[in-house]
Amino acid sequence: MKFLNCRFAVFISLCFLVPFLRYEAQAIDRSDNLALFPRRIVSLAPSVTETLFALGFADRLVGVTTYCDYPPEARQLPKIGGFMNPSLEAIFAKHPDLVIGVSGATDPISAREMERLGLNVKLISLANLREILNSIRTLAQLLGNPQAGEKLASKITLKIDDVKRRIELARRRSVLMVVGTHPVIAVGGKNFIDELVTLAGGENIAGNSSQPWLNLPDEYVVAKAPQVIIEAGMGSERENSTRRWDDLKSIPAVREKRVYAYGSDKILRPGPRVGDALAELARLIHPECFSSNKGYAGTPCERPKP
Amino acid sequence: MIEVNGTLIVLLIASAIGCSLLGPVRIDLARVIHHFFSPDPDTEILLRTRLPRVLLGMAIGGGMAACGVVLQALLRNPLACPQMLGVSGGASLGGILGLIFFPQWLLPLAGGLLGEISWVPLAAFVGALLSMAFIYRLSLFRGRLHPYHLLLSGVIFNSFIAAVIMFLNSIVDFYQAQGLLFWLMGNLSTRAYLTVGFIGAYVVAGFLWLWSKGLALNLITLGEETAMQLGIEIGSVQRQVFVAASLMIGAMVSVSGMIGFVGLMIPHVMRLIVGSDHRLLLPASFLAGAIFLSWADTLARVLFAPAELPVGIITAFFGAPFFLFLLYREGGKKLAV
Amino acid sequence: MSAAIEIQDLLFAYDERTVIDGISLSVDAGEMVGILGPNGSGKTTLLKIVSAVLRGRGEVKLAGKDIRSYSRRELSRLFAVVPQESAVAFPYTVAEIVLMARASFHSPLAFEGEKDLAVARQAMERTDTLALSNRYLHELSGGEKQRVMIARALAQEPQILLLDEPSAFLDLQHQVQILDLMRQLNREQGPTIIAALHDLNLAALYFDRLVMLRDGKIYRDGSPENVITEETIRELYGVPVRIQRDPSVRRPQVFICTTG
Repeated sequence: MKFLNCRFAVFISLCFLVPFLRYEAQAIDRSDNLALFPRRIVSLAPSVTETLFALGFADRLVGVTTYCDYPPEARQLPKIGGFMNPSLEAIFAKHPDLVIGVSGATDPISAREMERLGLNVKLISLANLREILNSIRTLAQLLGNPQAGEKLASKITLKIDDVKRRIELARRRSVLMVVGTHPVIAVGGKNFIDELVTLAGGENIAGNSSQPWLNLPDEYVVAKAPQVIIEAGMGSERENSTRRWDDLKSIPAVREKRVYAYGSDKILRPGPRVGDALAELARLIHPECFSSNKGYAGTPCERPKP
Repeated sequence: MIEVNGTLIVLLIASAIGCSLLGPVRIDLARVIHHFFSPDPDTEILLRTRLPRVLLGMAIGGGMAACGVVLQALLRNPLACPQMLGVSGGASLGGILGLIFFPQWLLPLAGGLLGEISWVPLAAFVGALLSMAFIYRLSLFRGRLHPYHLLLSGVIFNSFIAAVIMFLNSIVDFYQAQGLLFWLMGNLSTRAYLTVGFIGAYVVAGFLWLWSKGLALNLITLGEETAMQLGIEIGSVQRQVFVAASLMIGAMVSVSGMIGFVGLMIPHVMRLIVGSDHRLLLPASFLAGAIFLSWADTLARVLFAPAELPVGIITAFFGAPFFLFLLYREGGKKLAV
Repeated sequence: MSAAIEIQDLLFAYDERTVIDGISLSVDAGEMVGILGPNGSGKTTLLKIVSAVLRGRGEVKLAGKDIRSYSRRELSRLFAVVPQESAVAFPYTVAEIVLMARASFHSPLAFEGEKDLAVARQAMERTDTLALSNRYLHELSGGEKQRVMIARALAQEPQILLLDEPSAFLDLQHQVQILDLMRQLNREQGPTIIAALHDLNLAALYFDRLVMLRDGKIYRDGSPENVITEETIRELYGVPVRIQRDPSVRRPQVFICTTG
């Protein structure tokens, strides 16, 4: 009996090892694929979809996520699943020659599975403004039209520079940017939105956190006394999310009525509309620098043009 | 009875003060007193962000503990807790559906705005009522609620709800999923004194009613037949207690999500201290639950400041070892059969 | 104080199975009656119906009034039940258990009063359980538990005392002790006593009237001599026995005939 038990135990243990055995698909020679420009692209993120549309490659898109809703034409494209959980089958069925995801957002396990199935997967990093602009150039190059990439990147850079100029001399204002109401999720540090806030002449009160999104308690907000509060959660424009701060009158933003609701779709996409988003943010943080009478009670916003 | 409850009441008041003074941000008490009526950050932090939360925690902690005591008696099972009744599952699902499908992103429970309707707690309460009616109907047999059926149907109902919630979790987007999770793990953050007052009144009223049934609860734990023979109209007592407890749980879960473990642990701890007579056990558990949850929430706020832990994690994390320790020390002679 | 019980044409069925098939029984106030019968004959069910736990078809009258006209509270002041076993889900002390008997005698919102404590104490003295007051019920032996249950029943100051196999888990000493107590109580204070028993000899010794049930009907009703006979026992239990009258107490005693 003891001998049988022993063999049985060994057998069971071996059974447990089976799922962990690795099998490698045959190494695919990928260099060929990249020599020809990809013609069938699947996008795994709304920002990627927007970038491809802005670069003029919309006709090459064969699959997008269910969240890809800008530009409106993107909604007509075939869907391959959600943002966090794209459907491998749907992707594979489109026979793409390039799948583009976002590192940090696209599930790395899914990405690896796709590669194992023989698909060409590229994950781009969109963690800050520089990377966003670089990704535009990289994608343009990858798809065979580097000039389009340069043009788009320049256009965005121009917008950014315009904003920078307008608010150059304005005093920085402390800002709280909220992207979720219940619980209150604030934009933290190491987040491209944080970078936008800084560029827009603001100082993110949660900006020195190492986390991109923070669950911020109300008392912390009161203590940090932001001068501007921007409610950028989903649907906050339609809603009264700004009113939730009304009773905390010690906060300068509440006292001076600088609590704004801002529809979040532009902001949350590290894509080609980032320049517009920056402009709108700056308009909220420093409205005095964007009015027709430049300047605000004598305080200059920008250096006088020579 | 006076000594135990008196001590607990003193502890409760001390906790209310203590918990309000603690938080991720340091406040200056002198400033608070000086600036009591003007908009001052420290005053606002104390009175508008912390105090309502501490009070809500007390109301819910007390309510959950009282319901735990009552359910353990009703089901004649020391492992019963408010979660088992299925009502909390229905409330959670109602709340989550309200969170997802109403076009409004959760209308804030902002203080000072009378007439502001919060959809999510209402939806949750409706969910609680529906599930209560459903389970009641399932367990009613010849005018009596059978503990066995109550327990089973509650547990199965909860499993079903959990599956539905998981399904919803898989189809919502990132931010809604965050909200969903927060809701499921319990969350006492509120600034509306209106909400706190309402729930507090509800819970206290419910507790007082249940306390008046203390003697009947004692007898019910002896067994159905014995209870009848000692003079209890068991069918009607069971039904009334079930409805009262369900309404209380439904209201509490609607506002704060399901905060577990309080309703299971506090009754047992207090039973080891004051005994099993429900006329003593109920008030003692109510007060102890209030104290426990307010401190658990304070810890949740302070431990990883400025980030907040869901309070349900704290209750389980600290509650379980403490309970095991108490059991080890005293349980030998006072273990339940 | 004692009350009479009158049962007329009682019928009771669990789903499809008829357990009580037409019983008519009359017990005078202050009588002491033993109910006998093999398993499944309906003893326990009969007691449950008399104690208003179950409801059958037919007439059941306690102290002259229909049982259904009483409220539960009134019933609990009328009779008390000593159950066969007592499994309690939570730890209670003996004192707490006995005091629970007084639930119908004071306001539900108040604690027990002086009178309640006095009655409970007296009940515990009579059953020799006063020393166990602060012990937990689940720590006690079977016999001690049974005595506590009797104390609780006595604390209800009942006019009718119902016992379901009171000697089931007891050793000989305690069996005798309890039945002695029953008889003494019956003679002094006089509650009507009805006990379901399985021990034929003890039944014969302590009870002046025995009712033997079979398949839900009354098979014999009368004095021990008439009820406990060789034929009835062979009919009901299928066991051949010899009956001898014990000369000292003049009650029939059963001797089992074994073949071995």
